Amino acid sequence: MENVLSIRGLTKRFGGLAAVDGVDLDFPYGVLSAVIGPNGAGKTTLFNLITGMLPADGGEVIFEGDDIAGLKPHQIVSRGLSRTLQIKSVFTGLTVADNLRVAVMAHEKIASPLRPALGFSGVNRRVEELLAETGLARLAKRVAGTLSYGDVALLEIALALANKPKLLLLDEPICGMSPAETETTVARIVALSKSTQIILIEHDMEVVFAIAERITVMAAGRVLARGTPKEIAANRDVQDAYLGAPEDAA
Amino acid sequence: MRAAGIALIVALVAALASLPLVLPAFGLTFWVNVVAEILIWSLLAASVNLLFGYVGLLSFGQALYFGFGMYGTAIGISMFGLGLWPALALGIVASTGMAAVAGAFAVRLTWHYFAIITVVFSLIFYFVAMSQKWLTGGDDGLSFSAPPILEAAGWMLTDRTTQYYFIFLVCLACYALLALVVASPLGLRFAAVRENEKRAQLIGINVYATRWIAFVLAGFIAGVGGALLALFGRYASASYMFYHVSGEAVVWAIVGGAGTLLGPLVGTALLIIFREVVSGLWENYLMAVGAITILVVIFAPKGLVGSLTALVRRGESEEREHLENPGIPATPATARAEAE
Ligand SMILES: Nc1ncnc2c1ncn2[C@@H]1O[C@H](COP(=O)(O)OP(=O)(O)OP(=O)(O)O)[C@@H](O)[C@H]1O
Ligand SMILES: [Mg+2]
Repeated sequence: MENVLSIRGLTKRFGGLAAVDGVDLDFPYGVLSAVIGPNGAGKTTLFNLITGMLPADGGEVIFEGDDIAGLKPHQIVSRGLSRTLQIKSVFTGLTVADNLRVAVMAHEKIASPLRPALGFSGVNRRVEELLAETGLARLAKRVAGTLSYGDVALLEIALALANKPKLLLLDEPICGMSPAETETTVARIVALSKSTQIILIEHDMEVVFAIAERITVMAAGRVLARGTPKEIAANRDVQDAYLGAPEDAA
Repeated sequence: MRAAGIALIVALVAALASLPLVLPAFGLTFWVNVVAEILIWSLLAASVNLLFGYVGLLSFGQALYFGFGMYGTAIGISMFGLGLWPALALGIVASTGMAAVAGAFAVRLTWHYFAIITVVFSLIFYFVAMSQKWLTGGDDGLSFSAPPILEAAGWMLTDRTTQYYFIFLVCLACYALLALVVASPLGLRFAAVRENEKRAQLIGINVYATRWIAFVLAGFIAGVGGALLALFGRYASASYMFYHVSGEAVVWAIVGGAGTLLGPLVGTALLIIFREVVSGLWENYLMAVGAITILVVIFAPKGLVGSLTALVRRGESEEREHLENPGIPATPATARAEAE
C-alpha cells in the first residue's frame, strides 16, 4: 500500500453541474500534496466527498486500504481522517481550551455523564500539548468567538489534530491570515507533514510551490494535471487555466 | 464568580428548605403549596432548557413527557394499586420511554422542523389521551388518593410540610443531576453540538446520538415533573399534554435564562407568581406575560439569570483589568458586548 488515499471515479453532480466529474487520484505516503485550481473547480467538493460530508453520486474513496465512501463524517474522523473547512469552523461560544478538550474527549470516546469534564488528567495533558503545538497556549482561556481570524484558523487546525490524524485535509489554511501569521502557519504545516499525511487546497501559489511536493490541478470538476511543482509550472494547460482567469491566482 | 455562584446556590437551597417553617410564621401558609408547585413546573422548564439552552433544540412538545409522567403515576396508583414510589417510577419510565421513541424521529431534524415534529407528537398523544376515556378519563381526568411516602414513618402527602419536603428533595435531586451532566464530558458534547454541528461531526461526535441522549434525558426530567404534579394534585388530565403547556414552559425557560441551570426555576417562579397575583385582578394577564417576554428577549436576550451572570462577570473582569493596567480605562461595556 503506497497510497494513503486513492480515489476512483468519484462523481458529484449539483443539478446539471458536475462539480466533481469522475476523478481518479492517488495521494502517496510521505509526500505533502496540494490541490489547486480556479474558483469553482470542485476542490472543496472533492474534500466534502472524501470526508463524507456530501454523498457521492458514484466512485470509491480508499483510505489506508478501506473504501470509506458512504460512511458518516464522524465515522471517517474516528478512522483518522481529519479536515479543516474553507469557512473557518470552531465552537465559538466555548473557550479555546474547551474547544480542544471536547475534541480530545470525542477522540478518546470519553462521554461520562456525571464526572466533571475538567477532571481527566490525561485529556488535560493532551489539551496542553495541542495548545503548545499550535502556539495557542496564551489564548487558552479566551472564548473562541473573540479570537482574530488567524487564531481561529490555528484553533481549527488544532481541533483537526486532536485525533492524531493519519491524514489531514486543509482547505485554504492560510487564507485571510496576516503575512506574519502566514509565515508561522506555513512553517507549522511543513513541520506537521513530517508526522502526518497532509493534502492542502491553497490559492496562494507562492506557498504551494514552496512547500508542496506533489500538485494536483483541478478545473471544472476534472483533474487537469498532476506532478511535481516544476512539472506543473511548465504545464501549458495549467498556464491557460490560470491565465484564463487571472484573478483566481490571488 | 465560582465562589459567588456556589454561595448563591447554597443560600437558595437553604431558603427553599426553610420555607415551610418560615412562611406559616408570617401567615403565608398558602404559599408553601405555591412554591411546591413552582418547583414542580420548573422541571418542565428545565427540560425545555436542557434541549434549547444546552443542545440547541427548541422543543414545543415537552408537555407530552410531562403528561406521560403524570399518567404513568396516576394509572399506576388508580388502576394497578401501586405504592407511591413504584407509581412514581412507572411515570418516569413511561415518559423516558416515550422520549426515547419520539426522540429517535425528532432529533433527525433541527430548527423549525424539529419544533414542528415535537408539537405533532404531543398533539397526537393529546388527542389519543382525550379519546381513550376508559384509561385516561379524557377531559375529566383521573383522580386518586395518594399512597403514603413511607408508611412506617407515617409520612403522608396530606401533610403540607411533608409533601413540600418530598417535592423539594426530588426536584433538588433533578437539579443536582442536571448540574453534574452539563459540567461533564457529555455536557461538553452537548455544547459542541449546540455551537457548531458541522465541527462537532468533524471531531468525531455522533451528533444524532448526542441529541437523542439529551432528548431522552429531557423527557426524563419532564416526566419527574409530571409524576410529581400528579401526586401533588392527586389528579392527571390530558389537558396538561396540550401544546399550550409546552409553550408556557418555553417562555419560562427563555425569560429565566436558557443555558443556565437556575434560569428555568427563576422564570417559572416569576411567571407563576405573576399569574397568581395578577390573574385575580386582571383577566387579560396573559397580555402582560407576552409583554414581559418580549421585553426580556429584547433587552436581556440571555434571560434574567444569563444576563445577570454576564453582568457580574463583566464587572469582575473590568476590575481585574483595572488592577492589571491601572492607567487604562476599562473598555466601555457596549464595545465589549459587541466584541462578544
Ligand atoms: N452544496 C452545493 N450545492 C450546489 N452547488 C454547489 C454546492 N457546493 C458547491 N457547488 C458548486 O460546485 C462547484 C464547485 O464548488 P467548490 O466549492 O468545490 O469549488 P472550489 O474549487 O472549492 O472553489 P473555491 O476555490 O472558490 O473554494 C461550484 O460551481 C459551486 O457553485
Ligand atoms: Mg473551496
